[in-house]
Amino acid sequence: MIRTKKIESKPLNFFEKIYIIEVIRGFSVTLKHFFINLFFPSKIPTISYPEEKVLLPGNAKLKSRHRIKLRSDGTPKCVACMMCSTICPADCIHIEAAETETPVEKYPKVFNIDISKCVMCGLCVEACPEDAISMDTNEIAGGAYSRFSNFQKDGLFLTKNELFIKLKDEKISKLGAANRLENEYGERND
Amino acid sequence: MPKVIIDGKEFIAKENETVLNVAERNGIYIPRYCYHPALSIAGNCRMCLVEIEKMPKLQIACATTVTDGMVIHTQTEKVKKARQDVLEFLLLNHPLDCPICDQVGECYLQDYYMEYGLKKSRIDLKDKNRKPKRRDIGKHLILDNERCILCTRCVRFCEEVTKTSELFINSRGDHSFIDIKTEEKLDNDYSLNIADICPVGAFTSKDFRFKERVYRLSSTSSICLSCATGCKIKVQHNNGKIYRILPDPNIYTNTWICDNGRMSYKITAGPDRLTKSIIKSEEHHLNKAIIKLFDILKEAKEKNLKIAILLSDYLSIEDNFALYYLGFEILKTDLIYASKEKEQKIEDGILINKDKTPNSNAVSQISKLYGIKKYEDLKDCDLLIGFYDDIEKLNIPKNKSVALSYKADKEYDNLIAIKTYFETEGSFINWQYFLRKTAPSVSAPTDTISVYDLCLKISELFGYYPKEKELNKIFNELKYKTED
Ligand code: SF4
Ligand code: SF4
Ligand code: SF4
Ligand code: SF4
Ligand code: FES
Repeated sequence: MIRTKKIESKPLNFFEKIYIIEVIRGFSVTLKHFFINLFFPSKIPTISYPEEKVLLPGNAKLKSRHRIKLRSDGTPKCVACMMCSTICPADCIHIEAAETETPVEKYPKVFNIDISKCVMCGLCVEACPEDAISMDTNEIAGGAYSRFSNFQKDGLFLTKNELFIKLKDEKISKLGAANRLENEYGERND
Repeated sequence: MPKVIIDGKEFIAKENETVLNVAERNGIYIPRYCYHPALSIAGNCRMCLVEIEKMPKLQIACATTVTDGMVIHTQTEKVKKARQDVLEFLLLNHPLDCPICDQVGECYLQDYYMEYGLKKSRIDLKDKNRKPKRRDIGKHLILDNERCILCTRCVRFCEEVTKTSELFINSRGDHSFIDIKTEEKLDNDYSLNIADICPVGAFTSKDFRFKERVYRLSSTSSICLSCATGCKIKVQHNNGKIYRILPDPNIYTNTWICDNGRMSYKITAGPDRLTKSIIKSEEHHLNKAIIKLFDILKEAKEKNLKIAILLSDYLSIEDNFALYYLGFEILKTDLIYASKEKEQKIEDGILINKDKTPNSNAVSQISKLYGIKKYEDLKDCDLLIGFYDDIEKLNIPKNKSVALSYKADKEYDNLIAIKTYFETEGSFINWQYFLRKTAPSVSAPTDTISVYDLCLKISELFGYYPKEKELNKIFNELKYKTED
């Protein structure tokens, strides 16, 4: 069933109806920016992405390029449970699971994310029961700050090599695989 | 006929029926773990508790027989609380392996937890009992004792259905676990049914292990062609790939299916699948191959060579009759052969038939109707068209034959890549004379063709345009039953 919500818009008042006053108001905003840009270039609010970069404010930096966290022994925290690829609305995550000798039993043999399809919704991060996938690299895939090939289509297709990485000064948790590893992998330190 | 009232509605029950069965028949679902319609009643999981008036305690619906005037409630607070508590108890030592568990999507623990449980665990992680995990327990199965809820469905299956009794409960109390008798492997012919009936992820299939999530699979009803029993099955597939076969329980033929039948889907995608036809040892695309085959047949016909046609117990009625039509009407040969009648009986008392072909019941009828000779009479011919498996069994030089095949084989000069019955429709008559159809569940490789279409195309090249009616008339002549 399609749910609809009716939104009542506020009726226009007389000044808005006669139109000309609103046009002048609009132009004054444009002109203000025109003169600021002309005489005070340092105050321009836009940047020349991707050569320039501003630090994203607050939690917005948690929605940058994906990565898969690693455990202390270098294996991926991901157990190929497919929750992320199931929830992904853009259907851009492709995982192939395989068996591993470790007590975790399952690991992703293939893990691809096609960033060119990704809508950066972050649902994959929320769905992950292992806290394995995250969007905290602070990189924009395919952009100049990505450590992989710039601007090319390839830079947008992430495979295991690009995804399974450790961040600088990251504190690694030993826990994983639905608490399973607590006694197999030693103490809990998260 | 006892009358009972369940949740305020009056129902008429059968004599000696259980509460759970009466409720189920009338659309009231009572959650259960140990109850299975095809196994004996164990009454050990306590999930099916219901409130019955005039009885001081809650009763298990699966083992309580109805009496006249019984008043049963399945939705009271007391029942709901009991279900919650049973679930908490069952999940007490559960490892919660869901991310790495193949049962996800068809797990009764997950489903019931969401429906009736929703309670936080009160036990600390480190206090949970640990049990053996990932045990290689047989050719097809993996057992994870931690996930088991000790419903004993598996034990009862081995006792009552296969009568092999490999499994038992070892140890006591909360340390008990399902174990296999020493020096034995769980290798009976029906072992994978245990993975189906296990309500949780304790028994899982080795073949299906980690391949796909069940909730992504779609199901197509079809029939198993591994023997003359012709069990009804559900073929589960996703994105054009078949992942597993499950039984489609019915009152006519089967509740279970055998392991051999479950693996039969492998012909569709194995490494030796024939995807392109080979004519005179050269690979060809479909259209080219048909024309090349036509050239061979035309040449043989013009030279008056002896062309023999084999009908096959492995092929459907449509395909067999099209082959017959091609031989008799187009190639004008009377060298048409079929196998002799086979003895059909259930070999092991469960499902597996002595006759390992799916359609010999129909083919022997066709042979009788049309006076077709037996394979044994085939002494000599210059060109032979038939199904690969049949030609293999005959003593005919391989370079003289055109084999219709799913399988690549370097020894043959001429192989036509045909569609499997997972990819095309076909009718078969099983040993009980039921006429059943396979249904295509995945699409076939582009350069394959069904035998029926192949015969039709060749006839067209010869200038005949057989009407569908002409090829379908066989269904009026055959003797068979339908299910309803
Ligand atoms: S951020 Fe959204 S669209 Fe992108 S991979 Fe994750 S779930 Fe898919
Ligand atoms: S949800 Fe997490 S654990 Fe599961 S497949 Fe995705 S990244 Fe791996
Ligand atoms: S048996 Fe069910 S609840 Fe237990 S780990 Fe498997 S899917 Fe999860
Ligand atoms: S292994 Fe499965 S079927 Fe057997 S007792 Fe445990 S839960 Fe029941
Ligand atoms: S289903 Fe009734 S006790 Fe298990």
